[in-house]
Amino acid sequence: MARHDKRVGYGLPTMLAVGLHVLVIIISMISLPSSTSDPTEASVVQATLVRTETTTDQALRNEDASGGTESSDEEPEEQQTQAEEAEQEPAEENTPEPADNTEQQAAERETTAQEREEARQAALAEAERRQQEAERLAQQREEEQRRLEEAERQREEEQQRREEAEAERRRQEEEQRRQEEAEAERQRQEEQRRQEEAEAERQRQEEEQRRQEEAEAERQRQEEQRRREEAEAERQRQEDAAQRAAEAASGSLDRAIAGEQDAIAQARQADEAANSFQNLVKRYVEQAWNVPPEADSGTVALVRLRLLPTGELVEANVIQRSGSDSFDRSVVRAVERAAPFREMQDLPPGAQRRFREFNLRFSPGEVR
Amino acid sequence: MNDSMSIPYLIMNASGVVQFVMLILILASLLSWIVIFQRSFVIRRAKRAHQDFEERFWSGIDLNELYKETPSEQETVGAEHIFRAGFREFNRLLPKTRNPQSILEGVQRSMRVAWSREEERLNLHLVFLATVASASPYIGLFGTVWGIMGSFQSLSMAQQATLATVAPWIAEALIATAMGLFAAIPAVIFYNRLSSASSKLLGKYEDFAEEFHSILHRNLQGRGNSEGA
Repeated sequence: MARHDKRVGYGLPTMLAVGLHVLVIIISMISLPSSTSDPTEASVVQATLVRTETTTDQALRNEDASGGTESSDEEPEEQQTQAEEAEQEPAEENTPEPADNTEQQAAERETTAQEREEARQAALAEAERRQQEAERLAQQREEEQRRLEEAERQREEEQQRREEAEAERRRQEEEQRRQEEAEAERQRQEEQRRQEEAEAERQRQEEEQRRQEEAEAERQRQEEQRRREEAEAERQRQEDAAQRAAEAASGSLDRAIAGEQDAIAQARQADEAANSFQNLVKRYVEQAWNVPPEADSGTVALVRLRLLPTGELVEANVIQRSGSDSFDRSVVRAVERAAPFREMQDLPPGAQRRFREFNLRFSPGEVR
Repeated sequence: MNDSMSIPYLIMNASGVVQFVMLILILASLLSWIVIFQRSFVIRRAKRAHQDFEERFWSGIDLNELYKETPSEQETVGAEHIFRAGFREFNRLLPKTRNPQSILEGVQRSMRVAWSREEERLNLHLVFLATVASASPYIGLFGTVWGIMGSFQSLSMAQQATLATVAPWIAEALIATAMGLFAAIPAVIFYNRLSSASSKLLGKYEDFAEEFHSILHRNLQGRGNSEGA
C-alpha cells in the first residue's frame, strides 16, 4: 500500500489554483485588445456620421466644426505623450543593466548613454514626424470637412430651392382647389336657390289655387245664400203681399197669424243657416282632409262632432266605421285640423244649441 | 481613452482602499481555489480507499490478518482507521475483562473517537470556503461603495458633470464587486459539493463502525457461550 498517496499535499493544489487565476487573467487580457480595437474604428465612423447628421442645423454644424478641431488638437498631444513614453522606455530598459555588472559599468554606461541619446533623438525625430503627420492629417481633415460643408451647403440650398418649388406648387394647388371649391359652392348655392325658388313658386301656386278655390267656394256660397235670400225675400214679399192682402181682409187675428208665420219663417231661416253651417263645416273638413290613397270612393265614415258655442272642437268620434282604420283616423285628424269653426258664433242661438252635437258623413267620392 | 479603461489600467489607478480590497479578494480567491483542489483530491482518495477497504474487509479475510496488514495508527485514514482503533481496543480489553459489555463499550468509545478524528480531517478548511463564499461579496461591495464615493467626490469638484469624469471611478468600483463575485461563486458551489460528499463519506464510516461493532459483539457472544459450556 503506497502510504504517501493518502496524504494530499498543498503543492499541487496551489499550483493548480495559481494556474487557474493566471489563465483567467490572461483570458481577460487577450479578450480586451480585440474588444477595444473595434471601438476605435467605430468612433471614427461615428464622428463622420455625427457630422452628416447634424449639418441640417447651422448652429449644430458650427459646434461640430469646433469639436472636430478640438479632436484634431488632441491627437498630437497623444502622440507627444507616446513620444515621451518612447523616451522613457529606453531609460527604463537600460537602468537595470548597469546594476548587473560592475566591471563593465563604465563602458556600458557610455554605450547606454549613447544609446539613450540615439533613442532620444530617434524618438524626437519620430515625434516630429508624427507631429507633421498629424498636422498634415489635420489639414487634410479640415479640407475634407470644408469640402463636406460646401457640399452640404449646396445640398441645403438645393433642398431649399426644392422646398420652395414644392411650397409654390402646393400653394398653387391650394389656390386652384379653393377656386374649385368656391365654384362648386357657388353652383350648389345657385342650385339651392333655384330649388328654393321653384319650391316657393310651387307653394305660391298651390296657395293661390287654394285661395282661388276658397274664393270660388265662398262665392258659390254667397251666391247660394244670396239666391236663397232672394228666394226668401221673394217669398216674404209674396207672403207680405198675401199678408197685406189678408190684413186687408182680416184685422188683428191676421196680425197674430202673421206673427206666428214670422216665427215659423225665422225657424226656417235658422234651419237653413244651420244647414249651411253644416255644409261649411263639411267643406272645411274636406279641405283639410288628406284622403288615404288606398281608400276607394265607396268607403263612408260617419263622424260625430261635439263643439263648444265658440266653435271649438270638443270631440270627434267615428260612429259608423268605414272598415279601414287608417281612413277613420284620417277623417278624425281632418276634423281636428279644420277646427275651430268660428262660424258657429254667427249662428242664431237655437241653431247653436242644435249644433253642439251633430254627425257628418265623409266619403272620398264627394271630395274628388 | 481605450487604454485608460482597460482592466489592468483601472486596477493600477484605483485608490488605495480599493486596491487593498482587490488584493484581499484575489488572495481569498486564490486560497479558496487551493482549498477546493486539495479537498477534492482528499475526498476522492478517501472514497477510493474506503471502497478498497470495504472490499478487503468483506472478502472473508481473518480480522487479525487484516489488522496486521494495515499500517500503523497514524498513517491510516477513513474506515481503516476506525477498524484499527476498534480492533486494537478489543484486543487490549479482551484479556483484561470477562465482561463482554464493558469490552464492547470500550470498542465503541475508541471507534467514536476515531470517527470524530476522521470527521475533522475530512472537513478541514471547508469552513474557510464557507467564509470566503459569504464574506467576499461584501468585501467587494465595500470596494464598490468606496469607489463610487470617490466618483461622487470627483463629480463635486468637476465643473461639468460628464460621464467621462465618473466613468473610470465607477468602472474601477465595479471591478471590486466583480472580483468579490469571482471569489464567492466557486467557493459557494464547491463548499456545498464538498461538504455533502464528506458527510456522505462520514455516514459510510458510521455504518461500517456499526457493522464492525455487531461483528465483535457476535464474536464475544460465541466466545462467552463456548467458554461457559
